[in-house]
Amino acid sequence: MSFPTALSTTRSAPIILDIRQISKSYQGVAALENASLQVRKGEIHAVLGGNGAGKSTLIGILSGVTQPDSGEFLLEGSALAPRNPRDAIKSGITTIYQELSLVPALTTLENIFLGRELIIERAGMKVLLDRKKMKNEVIELAQIFGISKDELDIPISEFGALKKKVIEIVKALTFDARILILDEPTSGLEEEERLHLFDHMRNLRSRGVGLIWVTHHLDELHGLADVATIFRDGRTLESLNLENSTVGEITNLMFGIQSNEAGLRTKNDRLQKDDKSNRPEVLSLHAVSRAGVLRDISFSLHAGEVIGISGLAGAGRTELARVIMGIDTRTSGQIFLKGKEVNFKSSAFAYKAGIAMLPEDRKQLGIISGLSVAENISISNLSSVSRFGFIISRKKERELATKYKEILSIRTPSVNQKINNLSGGSQQKAIVARCLNSKPSVLIIDEPTQGVDVAAKTEVHELIRDFTSKGGAAIVIASEIQELLELSHEILVLRNGSIVGRIENVQNSIEKSRVVEIKAEVLALSAGKRLKNEI
Amino acid sequence: MANQRFNISMKKFLSDPILGVIILLLLVGGVASFTVEVFFTLQNFTNFLSGSYFVMLLAMGMTVVLISGGIDLSIGAVMALCAGIVAKLALQGMSVPLVIVCALAVGAFVGCLNGLLVTVVGLPDFIATLAMSAFATGILFIWTKGTPIVGYMDETYKQIGGLAPIYREVTVPMVIAIVVAFALGAMLKKTKFGVHLFSVGSNRLATRQSGINVTNIRILAYVISGVCAALSGIIMAGRNTTVPPDLGGGYEVLAIAAALIGGASLMGGRGRILGAILGEVVLAMTINIINLLGVPSSYQKIFIGGILLLAVLVNQLVISSRTKILMRSTNKK
Repeated sequence: MSFPTALSTTRSAPIILDIRQISKSYQGVAALENASLQVRKGEIHAVLGGNGAGKSTLIGILSGVTQPDSGEFLLEGSALAPRNPRDAIKSGITTIYQELSLVPALTTLENIFLGRELIIERAGMKVLLDRKKMKNEVIELAQIFGISKDELDIPISEFGALKKKVIEIVKALTFDARILILDEPTSGLEEEERLHLFDHMRNLRSRGVGLIWVTHHLDELHGLADVATIFRDGRTLESLNLENSTVGEITNLMFGIQSNEAGLRTKNDRLQKDDKSNRPEVLSLHAVSRAGVLRDISFSLHAGEVIGISGLAGAGRTELARVIMGIDTRTSGQIFLKGKEVNFKSSAFAYKAGIAMLPEDRKQLGIISGLSVAENISISNLSSVSRFGFIISRKKERELATKYKEILSIRTPSVNQKINNLSGGSQQKAIVARCLNSKPSVLIIDEPTQGVDVAAKTEVHELIRDFTSKGGAAIVIASEIQELLELSHEILVLRNGSIVGRIENVQNSIEKSRVVEIKAEVLALSAGKRLKNEI
Repeated sequence: MANQRFNISMKKFLSDPILGVIILLLLVGGVASFTVEVFFTLQNFTNFLSGSYFVMLLAMGMTVVLISGGIDLSIGAVMALCAGIVAKLALQGMSVPLVIVCALAVGAFVGCLNGLLVTVVGLPDFIATLAMSAFATGILFIWTKGTPIVGYMDETYKQIGGLAPIYREVTVPMVIAIVVAFALGAMLKKTKFGVHLFSVGSNRLATRQSGINVTNIRILAYVISGVCAALSGIIMAGRNTTVPPDLGGGYEVLAIAAALIGGASLMGGRGRILGAILGEVVLAMTINIINLLGVPSSYQKIFIGGILLLAVLVNQLVISSRTKILMRSTNKK
């Protein structure tokens, strides 16, 4: 296990990973289209892009989890086509995922050598582990990364998030990794730990490792990353030299804001600024905090109003929804529903009180696969389809589901169809139907149109507007700013668990020229104040 | 530095799954030594231990399977089947070594079948081994036509069953249990296979991605547990002097209880051979105490249930207090 010597500069360094025109599509939908990028020796190469931009597909291909439809990539000049993660690691490309790929029950040493243990020969039998030799081989490297000799003998489950990341890095280096892919490496780390991790990343750079760094945190880039490649809609847009580009430019590229972009449709039935005060307040939060996640969140939501929540991944958007629903407890602050203070012990109480939530992760948290469309719609309010309040009437259930099927144009041959057989868009609409059927006064929607095609997206938006025009109030969480601009009356921008900006009267200020401005403002707020000056 | 050293050895000690059973052992033993006079005598100890070696063997095999993330419900029935084979073949006049080899081969074969069912066929461990248990019991019933096998005992089988010692207090079951314990203990701690067993039970996906043949490891775990069951059956044949068709009923539950008391986890990746042994000692000690106290034997099962719950509670308590202690020690820094 030898390592290249430190490199002083990266600009002129040779290319070690050359990705050429890689394409990959899933069921006819292109996830990657002719993606190309080059990583040089000793370079920290940031890979940026919104959700669904194709970053994860590229990582999957590089790490051997998936195979590309066309295109190739060369590691140090020779073409590589890893069939599985093991292949990729052996060839020198290691990916460190957000979730742990270490084995918790094994010690640091056992994890590092898993699958390639060193064996000592005793009495002609090769079965005993040579821990001493393994330790000697790795100790020097481990100590460079701050892992002591004693810590090699401790089970992984005893360590914190940073140490686990570092152990994965050391493990990768013992495989002589030339390319290290870090997928959101700072998630779950404290501020101080992040800085330590960045030091380790610099250390890796000086060793000549090419780092591919996937991140949403644009404020971390400067001063660390050398180059950034931006992904949008499965394509690689541009590789920027970070020394002479601003975060403003990057965000513009990431989200495709162009000055000639069309403005938004304005709806006649939208709430006007002046009648806001006439409408009753439905939900209000006063300085709601949850230790380490949310800080002093206050806002009030009126009937007929939509509040949009913006922010980057990890800013606390979903966490806010969970606290309102009582899934997570708040550490301080008050929540009022229709003027009465509430303190839900679980989401079931929130539903009862009239708050319904559409979770972000449809597959895991939303649909109940195995049940029919009709059952999925009625489940949150079974009494609506019951006789005498407790005997479920399948007939009533079908009628109810058919009604929603027509209103929402859910595309399914029958409401008795299993929900997993439906398209993503139709599943989403069925869940919207479930929420609406619980007759909520407040609807919280986390990423309403994730994984939904354009047509269905418009329909889901219509549903939300229809709901609020009838006096309902909604909180919409979305990564796409365009979506928030179309739906909301007010946008709150979250960063690190705090509200860092409010954009009020969104509907009044929707003029073509203002759209770009608002978008830029939201993005700047999300990414951090330092960047605001740059734009 | 010295402080860090201390912290690390503390961490190691506190994360050892055996801690819970030691606490329990001291607790039960302590209560017994105060309430029952004859409890702390060598005579009593050898007495109650002599009846527990065969469960110890089952519990050790079970621990290996539990570590790999599986569970083996067939071992009680396999033990009985192997005891039946010993009795049958001995009656036909087969020599003792050959009888033992045959019984071990059957144990290994059934274990292998279990392993294939859960890996290649892909059945849940619980179902595959439950079915295997029914098959093994069924075969024994057909064989015995529902009546106990008798008349195979001789001096050698008396020794194998531990009814006659080979030297002073030393019996064959004791020796077998000790040899198997050292062999399996060393296998878990010092061999590649041992590390891979823990790895498979703790994070199967990561293990597979490290290029390890997960299927082989899991099959081998069941083979080990089958062989342990066979050894246990051989002892049982000698100890029981007859082999009734329902000999094996419920022993797998005792084995699981002993393994869990000893710190193994149904979630896999956790467990120790010494833990399984001490777990069975706790169970045997409890039964011994209630016998000495004159509690009717019909109450035994209730106490075993209670001890099992207590053990799991103690283990959980150890884990949660461990986190607290570790948190405190890091906060101080």
